[in-house]
Amino acid sequence: MIFGVALVSMLPRILPVALFSRYEFAEPLKKWLSYVAPAVLGSLTALSVLAPEGFVDISIHNRFIWAFIPTLVIAIKTKSLFATLFIGIVTMALLYNFVQF
Amino acid sequence: MKNIDCLIMVINMQNLELKQGIHDSIPIIMGYLPLGVAFGVLANEVGMTITQATIMSVLCFTGAGQYIAIGVMQAGGAVFTIILANVLVNLRYLLFSTSLVPFLKERVPTAIGSLLSYGLTDETYAVAMNRYQNHAPTASYMAGLNISSHLGWILSTLLGAILGSYIGNTDRLGLGFALPAMYICLLVFMIKRKSDLYVALTAALVCLLIGYLVPSTMSNLSNIILATIIAASLGVMISERD
Repeated sequence: MIFGVALVSMLPRILPVALFSRYEFAEPLKKWLSYVAPAVLGSLTALSVLAPEGFVDISIHNRFIWAFIPTLVIAIKTKSLFATLFIGIVTMALLYNFVQF
Repeated sequence: MKNIDCLIMVINMQNLELKQGIHDSIPIIMGYLPLGVAFGVLANEVGMTITQATIMSVLCFTGAGQYIAIGVMQAGGAVFTIILANVLVNLRYLLFSTSLVPFLKERVPTAIGSLLSYGLTDETYAVAMNRYQNHAPTASYMAGLNISSHLGWILSTLLGAILGSYIGNTDRLGLGFALPAMYICLLVFMIKRKSDLYVALTAALVCLLIGYLVPSTMSNLSNIILATIIAASLGVMISERD
């Protein structure tokens, strides 16, 4: 089982770099690929905040939405990953320990 | 003498890049800690030995895929089901890896780049893409970032498997928000043009909508793939007007 999973998780990561590196991508494809990162991050952020338990939960009971607000503000203001991470984690810890949801 | 100076300079630069990569992996490792520990604990509960759980994290490095494996094992499902689900879960890396190619090309030797790409995850991808916006990629940076993140994953699995149920609820420490906070920050860094913002918002919306309408896409993460394809295509269409 472990080797099967290892194989299917390894191939999609390695093959594109291994096979495509010798080719020059066409401009439109390059442009399309340049939007993959913002799209992926948009998806990951949305899922991790609005569906933290694996299902969409847009309600006042979702702690992740509350923690999202100060975290976003700090990210925009400081542009510092460490400051953002710190505020995010501290806010979440406070919400868990002191606020009844 | 001049050659030696050059060599020393190159080695120094590679060291710096390696260090930067390791440094950039710290937030990732913080996020992996509770996830890896939880995986170790769960793996133990479904009957995997400490060695098996750790080897799985060494060879697989696919958080979502490993959790699915545990879930299917718990439900008494087949190995085939686990592998099929993992094909789906890991499919998004085809996109991630392909989008890295234009950056790595001619800067990182293909063989090394391919090998190091094994350490590609949602998180290492996001951090690396962010760095490559204004720094050329190097093999040393990739090694520092990907290998230390992978080590963090392996060690936290080991920790979870050893300590098992002795570990209480780690939610109270707030570490559950480490990865979301990282995504939020990297998203802010990544948005440079209006079209980036529209692409990110579209992807977020489409991803949630698909996940809401077809809940099974939430566990195999195919909603991320669909949302990325749709949003990136929109990006190409609107970028002309930028």
